Amino acid sequence: MSDPTTPARPVPPSSVVLVSGGSRGLGLAIVTDLLEAGLKVAAFARTVTPELAKLADAHSERAHVGSVDVTDLAAAQAFVRAAEERLGPIDGVVNNAAVGQDSLHVHTANADIARIIETNLTAPLQLTRLAVRRMLAQGRRGRIVNITSICAQRGFPGLVAYSATKGGMDAATRSLARELGGRVLVNAVAPGFFASEMSAVLGQTQLDQIVRRTPTGQLTEPEEVVPVVRLLLRDQTNINGQVIVVDGAASI
Amino acid sequence: MKELSRAQIRDLMGEVLKNQGKALPSDDAADLREIGFRSLDFSELALRVEDATGEELNFDAPGLRRITTVGDVLDFLVELQRQ
Repeated sequence: MSDPTTPARPVPPSSVVLVSGGSRGLGLAIVTDLLEAGLKVAAFARTVTPELAKLADAHSERAHVGSVDVTDLAAAQAFVRAAEERLGPIDGVVNNAAVGQDSLHVHTANADIARIIETNLTAPLQLTRLAVRRMLAQGRRGRIVNITSICAQRGFPGLVAYSATKGGMDAATRSLARELGGRVLVNAVAPGFFASEMSAVLGQTQLDQIVRRTPTGQLTEPEEVVPVVRLLLRDQTNINGQVIVVDGAASI
Repeated sequence: MKELSRAQIRDLMGEVLKNQGKALPSDDAADLREIGFRSLDFSELALRVEDATGEELNFDAPGLRRITTVGDVLDFLVELQRQ
């Protein structure tokens, strides 16, 4: 069975978006932005923070939030079903949930490597499979945005397993875009280091050095990544299978 | 396990095509490329069969490469349900 190239209908903007890891940081900023843009959002995280709960209360008709560990596939499936009953069919997914790392590879426990891979690579692939199966089964089209990292393209000490998972998601983004034949648009957004997370592990001297090497003269803020995610979910651009780096050109 | 007949799968295939403004010919020998039935349409059809039977159907890509006609699609899915 082979596919001829045929003119396809454009994928419509997403209107009901599933966001994993939506309780803090970039995930919370994405949920906030999408709700303020008028979309319906289903967001889960291991813990529903007071900030996410407050947001859900403020948009109670269009938000569905829950406490779900992304590695618990059964719980994720139950959440998706409940969200679709409340909000309607999901036609957008933001794979944002991830765990970080700050340990040299030789000093990272095998169990921790397995946990990073399970959370950052296996779980989003399974969540994507779940969402795409539902889209296809109902004859719908949709969009997927994977939040990866500049670590997938550049080397950083202390982030070996983390980088491997993000590189894996970048690769999966390209193959999924091919496999889904334009019926589901699949892209990734790769932020540079956020000022908040860098300041937690680096001293001021190191921070200043990174900023000097960044042509825009600043580290990335979540609010600078959010518009790119929204564009990929909403705009008619024909961008598909791409990894869009948002790092002020620090990595070029 | 509930199993869909060849005719029932044919009806579902017709629905998949109808959603795209296309028609399913009555001739099982009809070429999938000519009627615009793509591999993703096959996935959609398989998922509809899964939905009706409650059983997940997983299969490798090489099996799909031999499928070129409407009849091949129906035969493949009938056989897949029995595995």
